[in-house]
Amino acid sequence: MNIVVLVKSAVNEAELRADPAGHPMLAGAAAKISNFDMNGVEEAVKQKEKSGGTVIVLTLGGADAKKAIKEAMAMGGTRGVHILAEPPDAPDSLGTAYLLAKAIKRIGEVDLVVCSEGASDTYQGQVGAMVAEFLDMPFLAYAKKVEVVDGRIKCEHGFDGGVRVLEAKLPAVVSVVSEANVPRYPTLLQVMVAGRKAIEDVPIASLKGPDYPETGMEVLDVTLQSANRKRVLLDGSPEDASRKLVDALKKEGVL
Amino acid sequence: MYGDEAAEVYGALLRSLSVVLDERVSPLSLALDQGKGEIDKPRRVLFEQGVCKLPHASVLGGMGVPFGVYALAMELVGAADASTAMSLGIHNTVAEAVAKFGSMEQKKRLLPALLSGKKLAAFALTEPSSGSDARSMRTTAFRRGGNYVVEGSKMFITNAGEADVYLVFAATGTGHGAFLVEGTNPGLKVGKALREKLGMRGSHTAEVRLVKCTVADDSLLGPEGAGFEQAKQLLDSSRIIMGMICVGIARAAYVKALAYAKGRDLFGKKLSDMQLTREKVANAAIEMSGARLLCMHAARLKEAGKPYSSEAAQGKVFATEMAVRTCDATVQLLGGYGYTSDDVHRHLRDARLLTIGEGASEVLRMLIASQELGRES
Amino acid sequence: MEVISYSEDGELAGEVAAAGLDVARSLGADAVAVELDAVSAGLRSAGKVVLLKGERALEEDADSAAAAIVEVARARDVRAVLVAETKFGTVVAAKVAARLRVGSLGKGRRLRVDGGRLVLERDAYGGKYLAQVAAKMPCVAIVQAGVYEAAEEAPGLLETLSVNVGDPKVATVEAKRSQRAEAGIKSAPKIVSAGRGFAKKEDLALARDLASALGAALGCSRPLSSDLGWMGEEAHIGLTGAYVHPQLYVAVGISGQLQHVAGIKDSKVIVAINKDGQAPIFQVADYGIVGDLYDVVPALTKVLKQG
Repeated sequence: MNIVVLVKSAVNEAELRADPAGHPMLAGAAAKISNFDMNGVEEAVKQKEKSGGTVIVLTLGGADAKKAIKEAMAMGGTRGVHILAEPPDAPDSLGTAYLLAKAIKRIGEVDLVVCSEGASDTYQGQVGAMVAEFLDMPFLAYAKKVEVVDGRIKCEHGFDGGVRVLEAKLPAVVSVVSEANVPRYPTLLQVMVAGRKAIEDVPIASLKGPDYPETGMEVLDVTLQSANRKRVLLDGSPEDASRKLVDALKKEGVL
Repeated sequence: MYGDEAAEVYGALLRSLSVVLDERVSPLSLALDQGKGEIDKPRRVLFEQGVCKLPHASVLGGMGVPFGVYALAMELVGAADASTAMSLGIHNTVAEAVAKFGSMEQKKRLLPALLSGKKLAAFALTEPSSGSDARSMRTTAFRRGGNYVVEGSKMFITNAGEADVYLVFAATGTGHGAFLVEGTNPGLKVGKALREKLGMRGSHTAEVRLVKCTVADDSLLGPEGAGFEQAKQLLDSSRIIMGMICVGIARAAYVKALAYAKGRDLFGKKLSDMQLTREKVANAAIEMSGARLLCMHAARLKEAGKPYSSEAAQGKVFATEMAVRTCDATVQLLGGYGYTSDDVHRHLRDARLLTIGEGASEVLRMLIASQELGRES
Repeated sequence: MEVISYSEDGELAGEVAAAGLDVARSLGADAVAVELDAVSAGLRSAGKVVLLKGERALEEDADSAAAAIVEVARARDVRAVLVAETKFGTVVAAKVAARLRVGSLGKGRRLRVDGGRLVLERDAYGGKYLAQVAAKMPCVAIVQAGVYEAAEEAPGLLETLSVNVGDPKVATVEAKRSQRAEAGIKSAPKIVSAGRGFAKKEDLALARDLASALGAALGCSRPLSSDLGWMGEEAHIGLTGAYVHPQLYVAVGISGQLQHVAGIKDSKVIVAINKDGQAPIFQVADYGIVGDLYDVVPALTKVLKQG
């Protein structure tokens, strides 16, 4: 099977700092492969190990996105494709999906596209479904379990208060949730070998056609949300602290 | 240090290792110190990762990574769990011995197993009555009917009882020899594990006695009589690693000190606002950087094939003593909590071994001074 | 001009209809709540309702639902399509945006109109930051639960339209509803939430007792629902789960990772119980007790029962 797995180099929100005005300092901020994408990569590699074939790691992002591709390749990706898009030109979800779909079409015969439930930094969960639309492929969302048999994909999905089993003919796009698998830890040798593999660079201009969707999407502002909480610590024995808490909550009017 | 492209790959290696250490080794560390948990578990994780393959040539089954990168990796392991780092460091010294001094046959026989961790090794040089004065060792190995018979006693041997192969140094009459003795050899008897160790409780340490221990000729590493010189070279290498492990231990304690200082309120301020606290923080930062650079300087000399004994000794003396200072300062900073928490004082207890083992500071200072004064020791 | 709102969930349909009405008013447009197959019992909306029917059930799969909405959007002058946040809704919104080739603002809270653009307020970078994102209309947006209050009136059914959607690309082989063990998290006025501080599943009984003494619903952080499977997905509160807005939120044995905190920010009062005084949850709590939950929770339950 020829599998394409979509990964995003996400901002490492734990290390993101704010400037005095409360705006995130994104320039040069540490990035990491989005956690949920590790589950996507693991699923893609698992399927490759079952049925043979290749796993192509595809990303759209700035220069530091190469690290994310290499991490994915260390887990078992065959080769990497990087659509270069530095932050000011970074497209919105629809533009991203359009470009990813174009890149996938260029790759040729693709049986399965795997992505995750969302990026760890923005978590919008739109790109996967949109890529499926651009490719005119079935989209199986939030899969907990993925099975491919005889050119058909069958998945178990967790959906708002229930489980559904969905099925479709390949080629298809599937998004996996973190419950789907446990991402493997690559060995140092795998990291080194992946680190030395070349990644194909694809300039955005080569993919953008006259039908590229201009949504006029713009981020007007991003500001730190302040917690503004009382942060009162109640001490003493469990009983004492509990009593103090109940009193405080009564005063707050929530009890 | 290594050129952009290579540095990127090495950076990726160390980052990937960090993640594995954070998620699969560090969480086990405290329990190991407290005598709970499996000693072998974190070691297995690192063998699977291939840490022991790093500095060895790829033709020998290694990853052919510069020694300095391996040293940086061991700093990370030291920060995650000191005992495991020491256990692996010593194991790797034996692997280095086989790679450097072993015959083709010995390398074929042992290296794959040692590099993959299928076999665990122990380094048996120290004796009950000779630590610093290694030359005066009493263990002997004499030829008797086509074999060597080793007799003697080794002490404070890390990995004793678990090891599959022991590198035993013995006086041979012609000098000294390094012998590869199987753990299953009926003449090799491991004593009771030392239970009162101050630290490094996540590793096995015991006495090892050689009683009429018969080993075949092909157990001798290299020529007979070369043992002492071999030991010197192996210790030079190992001292860099022990130094880097100590940089790691210091950092593990340092991180806890910083977190505590930032969270602790007193006299209307944070502990981290206090001048004397800041002095401690600055000193620790300076010393950790200095220790790392000293050890890495020795590593780079080793990579270039240049002599590095004195530099390795300098790195080890400074890093190990620095680690004790930094870990001690951490306990002091955390006050009552530092004194009463295993999780805090274990770093000090772990570091405390390393100004003693693998070349006590006193001996290393003699080595450094001899070099400076231009005389052979 | 019209603003369409949609949700497959009856309760949320009322909320997103209120969002639609709000946006429509700013535009001087009509608000239209779209229902598929049948009007949800208990739907409340102050705008128009359009019921779409097809040859098969339209709400059976995201393809059909999206296709139906797209047909309506294309036939009328639709400025915005608002969908309530559910997993299903998230996929439908993406498909609608892609088919109409318009921007999807993603999931967020308040919407406002700024010239020819729709602006959505949404969490960013693990929920630590708040972003204002704008797209030119027409566009799609996903509205989180609990932001808009559903209108009071039960609407009169206005229009029924039949739509022709193609066959779905995805077949549903099986659909099971899980027993809603922890229902109504999203609208619960009081919530007790359990995290990794609990050593085993059986110990959750302590949390249940506390919840019962408080008259609260029981929720959890992600590890308990996904990794450990001790509670259902609908109990999971956080960036990738439910966003809640109770009067009282009690986090028990929860460390307070960004991903969890993102889901509780709108709580009026947050209480944290954790044995690690350094846990980040204490930075976002109004009241905190540093202690072992196995001691504190029974004590608290007892004090509450004593009245």
